[in-house]
Parts: sequence; structure tokens; C-alpha cells
Amino acid sequence: MKTSEIFTSNLPVGEKLSVKRTRFEPKSVDNKKMKRISIVSGIHGDELEGQLVIYLLADWLNKNNDKLKGIVDIYPAVNSLGVDTITRGFPLYEVDLNRTFPGSANEFLPGQVVYALANDVKGSDIAIDIHSSNIFLREIPQIRINKEYSKSTLALAKELNCDFIWIHDAVTVLEATFSHTMNSMGTKTLVVEMGVGMRLTKEYGNQLLIGILNLMKKEGIIECEEEFTVRTPFSSEIGDVFYLNAPKSGLFVPALDHCAIIKEGDKIGDIVDPLTGTIYSTLKAPNDGILFTLREYPVVYEGSLIARIFGEKSGKN
Amino acid sequence: MEKIEILRIESLSRDPLVVEGYLFKGTNPNAPKIAIVGAMEGESILPLYCASTLVDFFKNKLEKEKLKGDVLIIPSINHYALNISKRFWPLDNTDINMMFPGYELGETTQRIAKKVFDALNGYDYGVILERRPDPATCLPYIKLYKSGYEDLLAAKKFGFKLIHHRTMKSIDTVTLQYNWQLWGTKAFSIMCPSDNQVDKKVASQINQAIIRFMDKSKILNYHIFNGYESTVMDRNTISVVKSAKSGIFISKELPGNYVSKDQVIGEIVHSLEGNVIHQFLAPCNGMVTCFYSNSLIFEHAVAFRIAKIG
Ligand SMILES: [Zn+2]
Repeated sequence: MKTSEIFTSNLPVGEKLSVKRTRFEPKSVDNKKMKRISIVSGIHGDELEGQLVIYLLADWLNKNNDKLKGIVDIYPAVNSLGVDTITRGFPLYEVDLNRTFPGSANEFLPGQVVYALANDVKGSDIAIDIHSSNIFLREIPQIRINKEYSKSTLALAKELNCDFIWIHDAVTVLEATFSHTMNSMGTKTLVVEMGVGMRLTKEYGNQLLIGILNLMKKEGIIECEEEFTVRTPFSSEIGDVFYLNAPKSGLFVPALDHCAIIKEGDKIGDIVDPLTGTIYSTLKAPNDGILFTLREYPVVYEGSLIARIFGEKSGKN
Repeated sequence: MEKIEILRIESLSRDPLVVEGYLFKGTNPNAPKIAIVGAMEGESILPLYCASTLVDFFKNKLEKEKLKGDVLIIPSINHYALNISKRFWPLDNTDINMMFPGYELGETTQRIAKKVFDALNGYDYGVILERRPDPATCLPYIKLYKSGYEDLLAAKKFGFKLIHHRTMKSIDTVTLQYNWQLWGTKAFSIMCPSDNQVDKKVASQINQAIIRFMDKSKILNYHIFNGYESTVMDRNTISVVKSAKSGIFISKELPGNYVSKDQVIGEIVHSLEGNVIHQFLAPCNGMVTCFYSNSLIFEHAVAFRIAKIG
């Protein structure tokens, strides 16, 4: 295990910004080319679920170093200043790092940081970028895949023990993300979304750890006796994603505790006005399916996302 | 003058957000029409000030018969952010200028973008007063994407010293400028320094440029002084000066100043010990177009941009 800095910049007053990576590699190396996997999180500073997964993975690797046959690079906190200050974007510049790739050495500082990351991850066979939704929404463990790269990444996604795989259309804005940049550079890159911003969901952390170990075993990055049993995810190839946005501004009071299998007409929650005791709107499921995204932060404006449901193709979406 | 309500959004605890446009009807229905968008984000004080003083100009200072084409001015869109000194939409921190052309069934800021876009649709010309995305003090200039729809010749009518003719990035496809162009309006972004205080001289340069453009485009009959014959720049004609050290940054030159190669243009002072630990030397002969507007600077941050001459 070796920790190094992939980017540093001295800060104005007695401190240094650094983006760190730890590398795990086998003690003895035989001559054949080793596979390499990179696990990234904290591109958004307010998302911490990935840090737990990476901790669990590092702990496992520390205890099972003899089983390691390839290279595992972990980058728990890309936006390290943001992680420490509960800031989603890059502090001071207020830039979403996941809209800044591929960056360059001559750009403003956030562009230099992402450029350093992309260059360091470059050459990995596989990369996994773990996000935890944001502070507004809770997500069940899911993989997001750009249609453009689904051929090469879908099979890997199925190994990761997630509940849902969302294959979405190519959106130009997403070209500025880590995953698009890495995929276009030849590293098969998957995006995991799970849990909620600023929090840890232990159960999800363990679930994804099993998935990552399973994938690494399948890829020959680890060799071990242990069997990692993974669940079969729902996949958006065979259904549609429905969005439920707030029709009114107010306080959202959910009727469900967490994401769940739901039936058409099930109540998802109310939007209320505490000042007058009025219910502005009651939200119901438009169809059967799994509610894979549910609003966590209660204050909503007209348009705020309340839920996403994955259901059968109906044509009405 | 007619005040148009462009959008209204209720809030749990705040007053509703009401965005209004000021419409000034011209005397000639065949004359070109122009729309001007002021502060799209909070902290965009100069765009707000420029747009509101333009409202004052059309409302109180210009004889009605001199206005030929219609003028719509939306001084501010994100009042919620301006009022609490935030930059983006206060609840979810999303940037309205990354939501165009908008979507009426989407997220809050997509809905805002959609209503604004509907109001802006159909104008011949569009001007967006944009705040610099990075912390920088600059000369006001035109930013025009190489989108295939842009009108570089028309951009020169503003008479700014500089036009930044910029290669598009993928995220630029969701900006107002690009989408407005796509829908047939010749749109221009006037880039304003990101400072939070109004510099009346810079504001006046910007408003004169807009009036000059309107006069030259026959929207207005109001001759003012000529501007500059704009220089068109792109990435290759700009030299980037990065900070070799971190500390307290002091610029010795202002945007617009001419500097010669190896001249000292700024310094970095050790933030705890007070001694000068770095001097910035101009890498070429040129004109300072912008410098870092924060007094505390990170190592590797872009400190100056200099347009090369000679
Ligand atoms: Zn994220």
C-alpha cells in the first residue's frame, strides 16, 4: 500500500491542497501485465457514501493482500477541500468538478485538478466513480450508464451487486464528466449512485463492497475462495423511468420511509403549508414499479424532484 | 413602457419570486428588435446595475420617437440569490445559465429557464450581461461561441476592445447564448468582471456599447461616440500567467494596461511573514485582459491573462 499525491497546490495561508491516491499491488509481481482498477469518490464534496465503500475496500485489501493479483487505486476525496467544508463544488470557484472534465494544465484551478485525476486514472482497465446522489435525494444503489458506452460497460455493471441499472441517452452536458472522459480514453468506467448526500448508509456500503470484490474476482484482480453472491439488478433496458416533480412549492412530507416497490396510486407524500395547515398537493405513484429515488430534503419549489420510478414501458412517458 | 410578468414562483417561506421584463415599443414595426438580459445569477451586481440603468435610459432619458425597434430588458432573474448574496439558485445551487432552453415539466431552474426563454424568443438580437465564471477582474468584452450561428461582424458593432471568439465546450450547449442562437436570435454575451462593487466607469462603457450597437443596428436613432475596432481573440492569442506561489496577491497593473515583456506586473506576499516571495513578470508584450480578483491566491491559479501584441 502506498499513498501519494496526484495534485497539490499550496493554499494562501499555511496549508496545502492535495488530491491523494492509495495504490495496492501484489507483493510479488509475475511478468504478465496486471489489470488495474481505479475507484474514485468525492468528486462532489458533499457526497460521502463512496468514502465508506472505499474504506471497507481498503480494509479488505489490507487483510487479504495475498489475494491481490492486480493493481487497485483508490481516490476517496477528489474534491478534498469540498469534502472538508460540506461544499459540493470546488470552493471559491464554485465549479462542479464533474462538469469540468477533461480539463487541462492551462485552465483555471478546478480544470487542473480534474486534468490531473484523468491523467492518473488513465490506463486503468476499469474505473468506478461512486456518487451519493446529493443532499436532496435518496437513491437505491444503482449504476448509471451512458448508452454510448453501454456495450462495453453493461456486463461489468451487472457484477456490482446494485439494484438498478439505468441506461440513459447521451446528453452533451455529460461529456464533461469523469466517466465520459475515461470511457473515451479507453477505460471502462461505471458511475454508481447510492444513498444520500452528507450521510453514510452502512447497508449500501457493504452491498457495493461485495459487488466490487465480485467484479475484481471476475476480472482476475483478486483471487480467492470466497464466493461473492450478487443480486440481479433491474435494468432500464426493459422499462421506463418516470419523474415526479413537485407541482407546488411547500414542505414535502413523505409517506414512505425509503425507496420501495410500489403500486399505481400508492401515496408518495404530501406537499403542505405549515403556516396555514393546508395540504397543497398529494403525490401518488403514476404506475407500478420501483421507487428508486425519493426526496430527502423537505423544502421544495415548484419543479423540485420528488421521486423517480422505474416501471414497465407504457408509452406515456 | 410596459411591465411584463415573465414568471412567478411561490415559496414555502419567502415572498414569491416574480421576474419582470420592461418592454419599450419602437415606432417602426419593421425595425429590428432586441432583448437584454441582466443578472442571471446572484452576485452579478454589474449586470444588474447596467440593465437597470438601461431601463432608466429608455424610460426617462430617450425621446420616444428615437426608438425604432422594440426593446425588452429583464434586469434580474435570480432575485432570490441576489438578495442573500449567493451565486446560484439558493435551494439547490443550480446555475440557471446551464438550464437552457428549459423544460416546463422539469426541475425548478429548468422551469425558470423555459419561461425566460419563451419571453426572449423571436427577437432579432439578444444581449446577455454575464458575470465572469472565475474570480477575475477584466475589461468588459464580448464572448461569442464558435457555434456556426454566430455573427462576428455584428459583434464588432458594440465597439469593445476585445471579442473572445471561443471554441464551444460540451457544457456550453445548455447556455442561453447558444440556445438563443439556435432559435434564430443573434445573441452576444457581454462579460463583466466578477467584482461585487459597481465600477461606474466600466458600467458606462458597457451601456454605451449596447447603445452604440443599437444605433448601428437601426434599433435606435441615437449617435454616440465611436468605439474601438474590436480585436478578435482566441486561445492562441492569449498568454496565461499562473501563480508560482500561494499567498497574498497584489496586481500592479489594471485590465487594459499595456505591458512589456519581463515587466513586473504583480507580486505575491507571504501571508504570514509579509515579505515578497514572488514577482510576476509579463511573459510577452501585450495588454492585460484580466487578473485574479481575490487577494488570496492559490498556487497554480491563473493570475493574469495577457493578449499578445507585436
Ligand atoms: Zn455526485
